[in-house]
Amino acid sequence: MARVEVRNVSLTFGAHKAVDDVSISFEDGGFYALLGPSGSGKTTLLRMIAGFEFPDEGSIHIGGEAVESVPVNKRRIGMVFQNYALFPNMSVAGNVAFGLQVRGEKGETVRRDVADALELVQLGHLADRRPHQLSGGQRQRVALARAIVTKPRVLLLDEPLSALDKALRTDMQVELKRIQREVGVTTIFVTHDQDEALSISDRIGILNNGRIVQEGAPEEIYDRPKSEFAATFLGDANIFAGTFDGTRLRLQNGEAIDLPSDARPANGDLRLAIRPERVRLVPSAALAESGSSQSSSHLAGTITRRMFSGSQSTYLVESGGQEYKAIVMRGNAGELEVGTPVAMQWDRSDLIVL
Amino acid sequence: MIRTPAFLSGLGRFYIGLVLLFLYLPLAIMAAMSFNVSPFYQLPFEGTTEWYLALSGNDSLIEASLNSLKIAVLTTIIATILGTAASLALFRYDFAGKRVIQSLLFPPIAIPWLISGTAMLIFFFGTGIGRGLHAILLGHVALALPYVIIVVSARLATFSRDLEDAAASLGASSWQTTWKVTLPCIAPGIVAGALFAFAVSFDQFVISYFLATPGQTTLPVEIYAAIRKGFTPEINAVSTIIILFSMGLMLVVSRFFRFGGSQ
Amino acid sequence: MAATMTQENGLRKAFPLLLPAYAWLTLAIFLPLSAMVYFSLLTSMSPSEQSSSLTLENYAAFFSDPLYVTLLLRSLRLGLVVTLICILVGFPAAYVLAKIFKGRAREAIFLLVILPFWSNSLVRVFSWSMVLREGGILDTALNSILPFEVTFDLMYSYPAVVIGLVHSYLPYMVLTCYLSLQAIDDALIEAARSLGASRLTTLRRVVAPLALPGVLAGSALIFIPVVGSFMEPRILGGRGGTLYGTVIEDQFTAVYNWPLGAALSFILLAVVLVILLVSAPVLRKTA
Repeated sequence: MARVEVRNVSLTFGAHKAVDDVSISFEDGGFYALLGPSGSGKTTLLRMIAGFEFPDEGSIHIGGEAVESVPVNKRRIGMVFQNYALFPNMSVAGNVAFGLQVRGEKGETVRRDVADALELVQLGHLADRRPHQLSGGQRQRVALARAIVTKPRVLLLDEPLSALDKALRTDMQVELKRIQREVGVTTIFVTHDQDEALSISDRIGILNNGRIVQEGAPEEIYDRPKSEFAATFLGDANIFAGTFDGTRLRLQNGEAIDLPSDARPANGDLRLAIRPERVRLVPSAALAESGSSQSSSHLAGTITRRMFSGSQSTYLVESGGQEYKAIVMRGNAGELEVGTPVAMQWDRSDLIVL
Repeated sequence: MIRTPAFLSGLGRFYIGLVLLFLYLPLAIMAAMSFNVSPFYQLPFEGTTEWYLALSGNDSLIEASLNSLKIAVLTTIIATILGTAASLALFRYDFAGKRVIQSLLFPPIAIPWLISGTAMLIFFFGTGIGRGLHAILLGHVALALPYVIIVVSARLATFSRDLEDAAASLGASSWQTTWKVTLPCIAPGIVAGALFAFAVSFDQFVISYFLATPGQTTLPVEIYAAIRKGFTPEINAVSTIIILFSMGLMLVVSRFFRFGGSQ
Repeated sequence: MAATMTQENGLRKAFPLLLPAYAWLTLAIFLPLSAMVYFSLLTSMSPSEQSSSLTLENYAAFFSDPLYVTLLLRSLRLGLVVTLICILVGFPAAYVLAKIFKGRAREAIFLLVILPFWSNSLVRVFSWSMVLREGGILDTALNSILPFEVTFDLMYSYPAVVIGLVHSYLPYMVLTCYLSLQAIDDALIEAARSLGASRLTTLRRVVAPLALPGVLAGSALIFIPVVGSFMEPRILGGRGGTLYGTVIEDQFTAVYNWPLGAALSFILLAVVLVILLVSAPVLRKTA
């Protein structure tokens, strides 16, 4: 168990800067997700922490020890690979024992540690099977047991759940979290799946183009994204782009939007974001009847599409040449038809200044 | 699935039958004649095993057979070790000029053996290496190496590099990774490569022909000499044995290595 | 920059593993080929003789004596004939194997077709002598069926050499054609048929072009060794079996004019290389 510290690390492949001056620290015992689209550098960063790649610049410390030039087999890390990488020539127990054996441990110690690790992942009964006889979820557990049996200082997971189907993936997320809590090892988890990152990790680092875009607790990043990329990559967002005239945000089409009361941006170009589930839809007819409520901001538009997904409906609303998204939980009100003129309403405090 | 009309597919099957007949008929006839009494292949057929018994008294054929086996075994061992090492290097590492290095494997296969054989004769003679079994071994290993490298590399192509990474992440040195993970995983390819090497050496005639000396010769060279002197039923007998041996060997290879990847 | 660093590092690590294999190839293939080029420029018989000097007369001999050119052309023609017959016989066989047979039957028959290839070619050529000679199997069989007497003796003739060579190299063609044919997605053929193409049109417009790389690869693999063949014509061709390859063999085993033999070998190698270079772009596509 150890704290991992990455300082000003860069790595270039040919003309491509895969990781660009990244600094991030992973606290002892924490569960971190590195989230980003493919090619964002998240896997390269993980592989540098593991020791498969070596940074051109910068330093990496594990438990206070500078490791950037230490080869992977001397770093005392545990890694779970995307396709599990179980040794096909060994049994389940053989796979788990491998890391202990290459360290020179023998006999009873190995047997006991392997049994404990398999017990932890609830696969004690499959110790003699071969990897090809296991299901995807079972392979996943073996890979995990193999990675933690050597008591690594840090556990690295490279998209470990991406090969599983959806239902199994949710189970494994819970399971992974339980095991991590039990072992207490610092864990770094690479994924491109935002839901996975949100549900599993203590903290998330979002990467784009080789840089860390934002780092923080899941709720913090979701509620207060600092950039349009962070806002749209982690969750969905409607973006209002326009000019701030000192009091309101003026959109290209002339409409104006109030800012959150505590926002004090400089005059000029400005972007606001709002989550689709924070947008309320009120038919324009109903609005006229009730005499409206000026307490919340609104934009007038027309529903262009409705997508039904069980517990909720997603509406696309066209307003001033832009398309916006609103997610409405069902049951509160009747469904709105395509073509209905509506007002999009929201609370000013739900707006995010980017 | 493409539906082929019955008559067309029947025609196809018949055609394959003819091709197989063409390929196997002469061999079958030779095998039959090796059990025929008449040394001039006269019919009607009268069964005998005398030609096989005669083989046991033919010292030069027996010695040539032993030489062939010895050289084939040595070729197999050397070519498999050198070829597997080279395949691993080509699989693991990237470096400038790798394509050139890989393309250098093809001359031994692509150049007619007549040219390789005469070139070896000139070079070995000129440098004092000379002719004989050691020269034949030198040539056979060079011919077998590309086959071993191609077969082992094909197997390595299905081997996931992640397995080596996983072993390293668990603390294994590259030596431990090679012996405990990589080599066991590609073992079927190595065995297939080894059997290929054996077959290449055991059946090789042209190179051996130019490098053999009267006392140091291999079975195919000895058979060729016998054929040139005139047919003897003993040659049928020994040829039949060789054919069955090589084909049996390749049947074993096919269990390790899928030639066509027929799925 | 990182890429070049890994590349240099890669060569350093790869070198010890590559060295033994490539040193061996150098000693047994590349140095001998170089020595052959050098030898072809010598006047005398062996490099140990002090009087030997450099000359082009061995190459001059090739061009001045029409016999060599004639024989080379004859060998090239033989290569062409054998290759063509192998295509005509082998491609349909590969097609039937790849597109009509399925599952285990296909695997078994495929193995049967290429199995002879791995048995001793010398012995296989020899086995034809029993079939083709007068009083041999074919002669006896024909005479027992036909109501009239025929003398059937193909032995020691040009056709016998062709038959023996086709028998030797046919499996190559079936193998390479099969590999490219089975890589053709059946859906492509179905698509062509659904668009209204007849079987023949589908074969001509879709299957054949896609299988062409396999045919060309097989052709190169057959043509090259056939041009350099000497054992097959010696066994089956008799006196009529004199070819370019047998002349080269004679220089080394009978006439002992090694420099001339080396020059003739080198000319053959050059011809082969030119043919390989011409077909290289297509072959690369196959690989």
